[in-house]
Amino acid sequence: MTHHHIDPSEYFGIQTIGLTKQFGGVKALDNVTLTIPIFGITSVVGPNGSGKSTLVNLLTGVLPYDQGIVKIETNSFEVIHAYETPGHGITRTFQEVRLFDQMTVWDNLMVVLTNRKLWASMIERSNGRQGADHREKTEEILKKVGMWEKRDSMAEDLSYGQRKLLEIGRAMALEVQVYILDEPFAGLFPQMLERVKDLLRELRASGRTVVFISHNMDIVRELSDQIIVLESGKFLMSGEVDKILNQPEVIRAYLGT
Amino acid sequence: MNSSPATTNASLMARGMTALREKGDIELYANVFVIAWAVIITLWQGTGFAVTLGTVFCIWAILSVSLNLVVGYTGLLSVGHIGFFGIGAYGMAILTSDTSYELLRTESIAQFGWPFFAALPVCVIAAGAVALAVGAVFNRFRDDIYVLVSFGFAIIAFNVFLSWRGLTRGAYGIRDVARPKIGSWEVSGELDFLILCAVFLLIVVGISWFLVSSSFGRVLKAIREDEQVAQVFGYRTTFYKLAIWVISAMMAGLAGGLFGSFTTFVDPNSFILLESMLLVSIVILGGLASIRGSLLGALAFVLLEEGMRFIPFLPSEFVGQARQVVLGVLLVLLMLFRPQGLAGRYKL
Amino acid sequence: MTNARAYLANRSNLLASVLVALVVAYIGWKVTESPEQALQFAFNGMSVGAVYALVAMGFTIVYSTVWFFDMYYGAAAALGAYGVFYLRSSETLGGLYEVNNPVVNGIFALVVAGVVLWALHTAFYYRLRSRFGEKTLRIGGVILAVCAGAYAGAVLTFPSNLHITLAPTIAIIAAIAIVVCGRALNTRIFRSNLQKVPTIALTIGGIAVGVGLGIWLADSPGSKLYLSWGVSCFIAGSVSLALYRGLYVYMRQRARSPLVMLVATLGILLAFSALIVMVFEPTPRPLPEPFGNETWKVAGASIKGFNVFTIAVACVGFVGLLWLLKMTTFGRTVRAIGDDEEVAKVVGINTTVIIAIVFFIGAVFAALGGLLSGHDTAIQPRMGLLLLLKGWIASVVGGIGNLQGAILGGFILGMIEQFGIWDLAGEWRDVVSFVVLILFLSFWPTGILPRK
Repeated sequence: MTHHHIDPSEYFGIQTIGLTKQFGGVKALDNVTLTIPIFGITSVVGPNGSGKSTLVNLLTGVLPYDQGIVKIETNSFEVIHAYETPGHGITRTFQEVRLFDQMTVWDNLMVVLTNRKLWASMIERSNGRQGADHREKTEEILKKVGMWEKRDSMAEDLSYGQRKLLEIGRAMALEVQVYILDEPFAGLFPQMLERVKDLLRELRASGRTVVFISHNMDIVRELSDQIIVLESGKFLMSGEVDKILNQPEVIRAYLGT
Repeated sequence: MNSSPATTNASLMARGMTALREKGDIELYANVFVIAWAVIITLWQGTGFAVTLGTVFCIWAILSVSLNLVVGYTGLLSVGHIGFFGIGAYGMAILTSDTSYELLRTESIAQFGWPFFAALPVCVIAAGAVALAVGAVFNRFRDDIYVLVSFGFAIIAFNVFLSWRGLTRGAYGIRDVARPKIGSWEVSGELDFLILCAVFLLIVVGISWFLVSSSFGRVLKAIREDEQVAQVFGYRTTFYKLAIWVISAMMAGLAGGLFGSFTTFVDPNSFILLESMLLVSIVILGGLASIRGSLLGALAFVLLEEGMRFIPFLPSEFVGQARQVVLGVLLVLLMLFRPQGLAGRYKL
Repeated sequence: MTNARAYLANRSNLLASVLVALVVAYIGWKVTESPEQALQFAFNGMSVGAVYALVAMGFTIVYSTVWFFDMYYGAAAALGAYGVFYLRSSETLGGLYEVNNPVVNGIFALVVAGVVLWALHTAFYYRLRSRFGEKTLRIGGVILAVCAGAYAGAVLTFPSNLHITLAPTIAIIAAIAIVVCGRALNTRIFRSNLQKVPTIALTIGGIAVGVGLGIWLADSPGSKLYLSWGVSCFIAGSVSLALYRGLYVYMRQRARSPLVMLVATLGILLAFSALIVMVFEPTPRPLPEPFGNETWKVAGASIKGFNVFTIAVACVGFVGLLWLLKMTTFGRTVRAIGDDEEVAKVVGINTTVIIAIVFFIGAVFAALGGLLSGHDTAIQPRMGLLLLLKGWIASVVGGIGNLQGAILGGFILGMIEQFGIWDLAGEWRDVVSFVVLILFLSFWPTGILPRK
């Protein structure tokens, strides 16, 4: 495994400038300025309540931000709408798995692949003669996450681990540049953990960017090329993993003074 | 082609079997029971009665299929659908009735005297246009607030029918609504009208089926399950909700046009809030997110009234009320034991 | 100043402000145009608003406790009004039409018996089990419940003797109330140490007052109308309690979403409104004339005494409910359940009992609203649903889940409705209130006083 040397200022990926979000007087994110480079695996770490999930929610338009600017490639955004997320080359998973519960596993993936044009989607029948490429892609992903046999069961009937995997699969079905995974390793058995790690490595190998949030420092060390540390809504530091995780501030933030 | 899941025979069989097992027997029993009941009624009351009943069924079926697109597939529990039905019926009545009310010393309205087939598209488009405006406002609401505002739409529509006398003659109603005419063949007979309604029902079911089995239908289901996630995957859900809402309203407007022509008399009492609540109950009773379920529900609803006549000691003027009581109790039981309705695919 | 500008920079805030300004300007213009009429409309708005406020308050405490929408609530309002009609129909219709029906009486007797059995069980069973044994308690409870049911049946069957049949109950309730309140006053406010003597004196006094009240009641047939109010409120509340305990409890365990409950209660409302039509026929009916039917002229507006009474009832109900929620242990547990039912359960609150009582109280408020509006205008089977929707709108306007918001929203809705139909005809009332609702939801979705 080759570790790239990362200097955040050199690479221009997703950049936030002065991003601020309040929840009823409490600042979940406070003037956060950081850069996520467009390659490799980046992990976002920080103690509970440090604003990791909020950051992801703001970047994908799930929540509106109060102040600040998000720069994606060369475009600046004062407002991000959720439906623009794939257009910005971003897709994501959620901390609490949010599948389309009363739809089949198959449909959960297909819905990501089909036509975004309203009128065209009324005519498109991807389970019929059209959409062979969609079906191929879905099949490939389902086999990759090991859920091909389960394709006709309802998403709500899956086990927790399977749901987690399916959600990652659903994100992977969309071919974009940046995959933001909110705690993809939480609550998984070791076997599934390996599977998710392989998926992440595979994404990196194909030149995609992966951003993930995790509390598991072993996995963070093992996978990530660069690391971003948040603490109580503020950006603490970012850089190469080994260097950052040995910083006294980071250790203090984690151990609580 | 073997790689695609839907085409292999073995997988199709397996899918069919699991689907049957999941559905349980209730759906089957309900189907058999209701259809047997229809046959019994036909045999007992004679075909003339069955034709009338069939027409009523067709109209209710168009309504409930169209409402199911909104409630079952998109997850918007709308209780205001009767408003679009009323717009269709009044459109038909105003445009086709050329009776002069001057001599009756009641309010008179403008006469257009259009033929049926010219008025019907106008009914459909009028319902769609109103739906577009209403939907644009309603789109931001969800869950029980959506129920409340849709109640509001039904009440506003009813009050407009009742109080805008210059257009609708208010409580007097409009009579002599035209029956359809194709060339020289006037569809005046009951059987002819049933055939016409059945054709329209088939068209509506066809369109609905086409929509829900397309990619569009899948997105609707995704919106029902989690609107925000559907957005994150790039769908502008507002437009999808608006589109299905307008399509559904247009179908209801079609049903309204047929209804106006069928009864040849339109007054506000057919479009009260209660009817709207009954309509929602039919959709839930038949089954959410299932077109077949809606047909089943409408049939059961139409037959239920006849079934009530079997109850001893029940005066005939209370048949409608008794049906309402049965429907209410069924609704409670379904919510307890089978929240997707008899043949439904979506649990509320 | 900068704050105001920032507030108006938001487009929907700007629109909302413009709308509010327009409404205020319209009302102001109307007031200058004809002050007497404006006063009249304002008073009408207050008296209609009082009914909405009553319904909205009941709705609010139920909704903010269980967080699902109970449509039976509309039927409770209709039951309240029709209960009065049922008990007093001979006066209104002059014996032309006898509604008294043994089946209806039997059903309500059963409901009352069930509620009494439940109340005895929750109040005494676990407390007295060790002292008397389970069997004795069960038999005793069933006997008492059957007696209560039979008594309720008898009260309903002989509505023309309401003042006689209810006299003993009122007497007993009055005596108990005096003793309990007296003791509470004695210990809490006067901090008296003379426990024994005041208790004996209080008991004797209470019994004396109770007996006196009973004798006076039995002798005054004019009280029948007001006794029928109590009976129909009690019945509407009992049905609500029975529905909660017998049905909603199990349904809530299975329900995936509040919509399931909404649809199920919609079924209950459908069934109830059909039953009301079956028993009472669909035509609108008058209720007997209550007191205060004469009108006074105040500054050019004619004011009906009964409407003033309605407004007073709404205010007293509000104060009572506020006291109950803010000052008592019961209120604290209710709020705890509303904030998080699971936590409340873990802490050891018997949520089922508390919620059942909340349902009772809520339905009593609905029934009060129904019967007061019934006296003001007329009763008809669909009034329940309309009142329910108005109460719902009022609580959205005032801020959903907030009691102060409910009463404020009720009065505001009544006022807007009345001023809105000044230039329109009265039949556009419902349209006005729903337009108000949609405007509020669009521009001010949290309402005037949002729940904290």
